[in-house]
Amino acid sequence: MPEAVGVVTHAVTGEARPLPRRLASWVALVVLAAIPAVAGGFWTYSVGVCMANAVAVLSVGFLLRYGGEVSIGHSFFLAFGAYCTAILERQLGLSVGIGLPVAAIAGAVLGVAFAWPSRALSGIYLAIATMALALAVPELILQAGPVAGGYEGLYVSRPLVPGLSIELQRYYLPLVVLGLVVLLLARFRRSRQGLVLLTARDHPRAAEAFGFSRGYARLAAFAISAAVASVAGSLLAFSASTVSPNSFTLSTAIYLLVGTVVSFGSLGLIGALAGGAFITLVPQVFAAWGDWVPIIYGAALLLVITLGHRPAEVLAALRARLAGGRRDA
Amino acid sequence: MLDASITAGAELTVTSVSLSFGGHRVLKEVSMDFRPGQVTGLIGPNGAGKTSLFNCLTGLYRPQQGTIALGGEPLERLPPAQRARVGLSRSFQHVALCPELDVVENVMFGRARLGRSGWADAFLPLPAGRAEVEESRAAAMEVLRRLDLAAYAETTPAGLPPGTQRLVEIARAIVSRPRVLLLDEPAAGLNPAETRQLMAVLRGLVSPDLMIVVVEHDMDLIMQLCHRIHVLNFGQRIATGTPEEIRADPEVIRVYLGDSDD
Repeated sequence: MPEAVGVVTHAVTGEARPLPRRLASWVALVVLAAIPAVAGGFWTYSVGVCMANAVAVLSVGFLLRYGGEVSIGHSFFLAFGAYCTAILERQLGLSVGIGLPVAAIAGAVLGVAFAWPSRALSGIYLAIATMALALAVPELILQAGPVAGGYEGLYVSRPLVPGLSIELQRYYLPLVVLGLVVLLLARFRRSRQGLVLLTARDHPRAAEAFGFSRGYARLAAFAISAAVASVAGSLLAFSASTVSPNSFTLSTAIYLLVGTVVSFGSLGLIGALAGGAFITLVPQVFAAWGDWVPIIYGAALLLVITLGHRPAEVLAALRARLAGGRRDA
Repeated sequence: MLDASITAGAELTVTSVSLSFGGHRVLKEVSMDFRPGQVTGLIGPNGAGKTSLFNCLTGLYRPQQGTIALGGEPLERLPPAQRARVGLSRSFQHVALCPELDVVENVMFGRARLGRSGWADAFLPLPAGRAEVEESRAAAMEVLRRLDLAAYAETTPAGLPPGTQRLVEIARAIVSRPRVLLLDEPAAGLNPAETRQLMAVLRGLVSPDLMIVVVEHDMDLIMQLCHRIHVLNFGQRIATGTPEEIRADPEVIRVYLGDSDD
């Protein structure tokens, strides 16, 4: 038995996060907090939306990590949160300060409402079921009538704190909420419920034998994921100042999945920001390339995934090339 | 409350249990009991029905006929998740530990159903939730120390030898102080040294409050460890007794060694 001592390293996802990653998160927060002071309005707007998208990436990543399932339909919950915030402002004059928590709670309920009938599905079958949600979103919004603003959508213009610059609020609210969501999810990993969901993901029969049914695990994972997605939708509505059916199509859902892949399923700040930046900033940075944008996007995605999955091998090969050497077959 | 009505030390009884799959009867009116303070072995040749009976005990299969009761309270209608609440715990033939959790967290999971912390505690640093996690960690560490596994507490299970992984599973199964511990082929895949260590651990678990049920192919382990043994063949119980009685039972000898004139 003693031969295994010292062989196994501590799980990277364990209780104590390695110091460099924690430091990198704090540095990223400081840099993000300084952006509005040093960058122009375009970047303040874009990075604000990027952070809202980072929260959306976390929602898909949570389902993948704790439920072991892939969603191609989280644009549904994103749209729900966004419209929840916009409609509460338009109909009742309530700001995002109310809209956001309402979206979170109602999003969790909606997540349960979807997860219950689909609790027996998994893998590709569940993914396709979620895709049906994404396909239905634009039509559902249009069928909702004038309350949802039709094709033109709705504006979100009421500030969270009256008297302060709305542009700055549109930037700093996503930053604060992103930081909070990362902290809350890190706490969840150490909780009793976190242990249950992770065990149920890998060994559902073991979870059942210890008192937790598969249905419980599925509903819990979906409820939390949908709540986070609704919060992201609320932030997107506030940061982008507008919501419309075109913002929540099947492509949106697929981009969220792409963002999750780019973040490597991380539920940390840096990973979520990488995913959010990839789906927000890459299309903007290459906007001038016109029809080439999808090709550049695809190539960039391939590069990120290859580098991320096999960083040591790829860097070693690059180094060998730069040194004029030849890579062994 | 079902668990409140069951008195400590009550027997686990199986009465006239029959189970069929598509017309094929794998258990035929099987009756037997399992007593507190004892290790009871469930043995039989391949296809005898011992895994099917084990799955009936854990709730994976629901018998078409007969009753399974703990302290007189029927269990056969309870789904697996609810059997844990009345004091049944188990290990798996293929180790079912979560690779992402370290060893102490895997053991803490064994106590998760006892927790009272809500969803707010899961996300927020509230005092009650933190205290519960610390209490759970302390209980898990105590069991790991008892099984001589404390050195592995902060490691992930994937790199541990099979025998150690099996012991971690047993630690997870006993951390909630169950009344019935069901072990599904605990020696499968273990080398002789690991099997001896497992046997020592299981002997150390014997207590008046716990009944241990072992389904196992390793006859040496069964004969050395068990107080009583039930033998199944073709879905029927053919013998019950102490290891000495089972060794001497002509029917058991015939089943395991074949007829002398074969």
